[in-house]
Amino acid sequence: MGKRKKQTVTEEAIDLSKAEEILDKYEGVQGALIPVLQKIQYEYGYLQEETVNLVAERMEISASEIIGVATFYSQFRLEPRGVHMVKVCCGTACHVKGANKITQEFTNKLNVAVGSTTEDNMFTLEEVACLGACSLAPIITIDGNVHGNMAPGGVGNIIQETGDHGKSK
Amino acid sequence: MINITIDNKIVSVPKGTNIFKAAKDNGIYIPGLCYHPKLTQYGGCRLCMVEVTERGRARHRFSCAQPVAEGMIVKTKTPETQKYTKSVMEYLLAHHPLDCPTCDKSGECGLQEVTHDLKLQTGRFKSVRLDQPMKRDNPLLEYNSNRCILCSRCVKVCKEIAGVAAIDYQHRGFKTVIGTAFDKPLDCSFCGGCVSVCPTGSWQDRTLKFRARPWELKKTPTICSYCAIGCSLVVNSKNNEVMRITAEENLELGVNEGNLCVKGKFGHEFINSDKRIQTPLIKKNGKLRPASWEDALEHIAKKFSKIINDHGGSAIGGIGSEKCTNEDNYLFQKFCRAVLGTNNIDNISNMKSPSLNRLINNAVVYGMASTSLEGIENADTVFFVGADISEAHPVLGSMVRKAIRFNKAKVIIANTRNVEFGSEARNLLRLNYKLGTQTALINAMIKVVVDEKLVDLKKVADKTENFNELCSSLNTSEIDIKKISGTTNIPEDSIRAAASSIAKAGNCYVICGKDIQEDPSGEETIEALMNLCALINKGDNDKVSIVFSRENNNSQGVNDMGVVPGFLPGYLDIEDQENRDAIEELWDVKLSADLLANNSGDIFDLAVKKKIKAFYVMGENPIVNYPNGKKVNEAFKKAEFVVVQDSFLTETAQLADVVLPSSTYVEKGGTFTNMVMTVQRLHKAISQVGDSKPDWQIICNLAEKMGHEFEYTTSKDIVDEIGVSVPIYEGIEVNRLRRKGFHWILSLYYKTKAAVYRFEVASKKTNAITSNKKYPFILLTGSSLRHQGTYSRNSESLISLASECFVEINRKDAKKADIVNGDNIKIESAQGKLKLKAKTTGRVPEGAVFISENYEWVPVNTLRGNGYTNVKISKTK
Repeated sequence: MGKRKKQTVTEEAIDLSKAEEILDKYEGVQGALIPVLQKIQYEYGYLQEETVNLVAERMEISASEIIGVATFYSQFRLEPRGVHMVKVCCGTACHVKGANKITQEFTNKLNVAVGSTTEDNMFTLEEVACLGACSLAPIITIDGNVHGNMAPGGVGNIIQETGDHGKSK
Repeated sequence: MINITIDNKIVSVPKGTNIFKAAKDNGIYIPGLCYHPKLTQYGGCRLCMVEVTERGRARHRFSCAQPVAEGMIVKTKTPETQKYTKSVMEYLLAHHPLDCPTCDKSGECGLQEVTHDLKLQTGRFKSVRLDQPMKRDNPLLEYNSNRCILCSRCVKVCKEIAGVAAIDYQHRGFKTVIGTAFDKPLDCSFCGGCVSVCPTGSWQDRTLKFRARPWELKKTPTICSYCAIGCSLVVNSKNNEVMRITAEENLELGVNEGNLCVKGKFGHEFINSDKRIQTPLIKKNGKLRPASWEDALEHIAKKFSKIINDHGGSAIGGIGSEKCTNEDNYLFQKFCRAVLGTNNIDNISNMKSPSLNRLINNAVVYGMASTSLEGIENADTVFFVGADISEAHPVLGSMVRKAIRFNKAKVIIANTRNVEFGSEARNLLRLNYKLGTQTALINAMIKVVVDEKLVDLKKVADKTENFNELCSSLNTSEIDIKKISGTTNIPEDSIRAAASSIAKAGNCYVICGKDIQEDPSGEETIEALMNLCALINKGDNDKVSIVFSRENNNSQGVNDMGVVPGFLPGYLDIEDQENRDAIEELWDVKLSADLLANNSGDIFDLAVKKKIKAFYVMGENPIVNYPNGKKVNEAFKKAEFVVVQDSFLTETAQLADVVLPSSTYVEKGGTFTNMVMTVQRLHKAISQVGDSKPDWQIICNLAEKMGHEFEYTTSKDIVDEIGVSVPIYEGIEVNRLRRKGFHWILSLYYKTKAAVYRFEVASKKTNAITSNKKYPFILLTGSSLRHQGTYSRNSESLISLASECFVEINRKDAKKADIVNGDNIKIESAQGKLKLKAKTTGRVPEGAVFISENYEWVPVNTLRGNGYTNVKISKTK
């Protein structure tokens, strides 16, 4: 999905006008659920209950069916995710080269389980299948930037650099 | 028809049938857990593989997904298919918890049956089982994801039949479960369709509560006692107690294809409720005390005789019941007319809409009344006029959804409220008219059809009478599409679109609901609607049918049986001396000379004027149900003597001097007539609870006490008499009703041809809506999905599901008055006041509030007078 917007998690009621705009565009189009959800996720970072309910009302598809679709495809997220997205490759080559140690290091350093987000909402850690750059194994990407030939020792540095970068934003 | 060979048996089945159904219909068993004949095919369980030989080549096919073709040779049990099916079952059972001893489904479980049939032993695979907690987030249904084999039946039934889609697959792969969005508690219509179709023990009926195993249950098919559709259901009882209700498994039986609604499926707990009246009660010193039948009947006979002596029979008013059987009601009116000598009898549906019987009869005579509900499935257009079927007749909604699914039926919903109708229909057209303009809307549609010549006008003129008068009446300045579009608040295009879609070729069903029937201008609207139907009626193949939705299980029957002041049984005019003579001869009595003396005004008016001294009420609770509650209350307070026959101590029974315990529908035989005049037979499932008796028996005993012989030993004897004395029921035979209903409209058509339609053009003065500064809102009332009268009120599960009646207020009005959901609201009218919690919604129009009248403990009728009711609302603590 390319670039992401920094999202803010607040207690306030969310602004649904963007979602309304997207839904206006797809008014009356059959089979438009996935593109609509993609666009909404792009705008809001993830699929919140309020937006899902709005899509349900406007597209006349029940919320359960929408969540059925959203939980089927791994591209959709129902939880807010961190500012930075860490993807650790667990493909065969990376696995052989010790990807699990890299993951371990991230979970220790960030104090977060795979697939979830740090408490300060800065990092989301995910394991992915092959990223297609086996020659650089083990490999991770942070916000789409590739870091190859990783060693567990380098994890702390990368977190430090990315975190600072994020804060200065 | 297509001929195929299945396991060396030649069978002939319709084109488009799949092999699975073809085999099943011909008694050949193929294992299968995901296919269900009333749902779309899915092909997910992989159990139904068969060997198909076509053009000399043998292949393996899933029988539920393979339509039959001429000359196919199918083998259901070859070594290959057996091996394959067994392996699939091995996988399913490796996942399934096999907790059969603690599962309510055990004994009627699809998975168990297939396991047994294939003689499966311990499998080769290591079991990997889910360990999710049971989901019990509502009082009626529970879901155990561990037992689920993901066959999709519940998902499909929820979407295709119930039109709700409350559940769907969630997550993916091994983690897949059936669930709701964001794991919210189930919020659906609770039709229980998921329980009915589930092939494993994943979905369970919580009203059963582990009280019985399936094989211990005695199953008695009978007819539901809630709404006027007359669904077939099966009462499951053990030790003389109703444990649960299931749907009729054979889909060809009954009108409902095994579909039920929340009340029909789960609202049975009232039958064995400890609130049932166990013995007769006599009031002494202001308190009702238990008494013997002998004493109670003696007391009533004495009192009635005294009143007849002092004031004449007409001083007793009788109220029949929409809940009781035809036999009960027939005997009731016979008792009132022949024994008591009064014609002051009535029933609630006739009181709410006094012209309805005449109008329905017209529809029958003109050949427009629908003869069967199943026909809706073949409709091309369905036009709802003032009908809220999702609340009032949910199973009818399933039939319409079937028409949408298979026939691509166009649905038009005309209502002042934005009533709910969940479906896959993408071309649903809504005509949300402003209250009071419904007749104008129908007239505008007639004008569009005539002006745009959407039908062959010459043919219409030939086939009907008074057509030219109708045309000239359309050319007044009153009926102008643009003007009506303004007054009804419906875009001109929508009116035109609606007119053209009902005028186009195909079957058209018009469903006229109670919002129209009970409206003060209902008569006029229905006449306009019949004009419209006569106009678009094209002939035999493209038929226009009107269904007048009735509210209760026997609302039609109580009127058929003549529990109305104007008609003897079978709509024979009581004013006609000939009819009276005929009935005198049949009943072998002399009707009282002053039978028709006190016949002006309804019985409550007469009671208020002290002309009626006593009431005999059978199975009805007029204090809270009848409109104009204030007057009804006064009438009962003024009456000297009140007898109430009921299963529960209702508000009316509490006012009575004698209360007689009557049996509910599962404790007696008899017949109900549904809203398309199909007479269906009840079967007795359990013996009488407490000291109660069927209503007809009570009447017989009472008649005996009053010196008349009512010699009926069973309800069948009464049916026989009905078959003779009620012309429209002529030829009815109890034994024939065993499995099939009796359509009295059809039996009428055998004898007469439909009459030539005559357009009604006389315009009537309507009961206009007056704006009232003191009471700025209009009160709308209607049905509720989850409650209906005394029965649902005493069913614990329904009460815990819907314990509160809300007053629904439009969001904008609520915002202006600073009202939010759950606020306590006082609703006041000129007649009375009520306190309810608020629910803000978009379904009610601005300037109106909506209260359901089916929550019996909320006496909405005390707010209502004659005509439209103006109310004001205010927040209270």
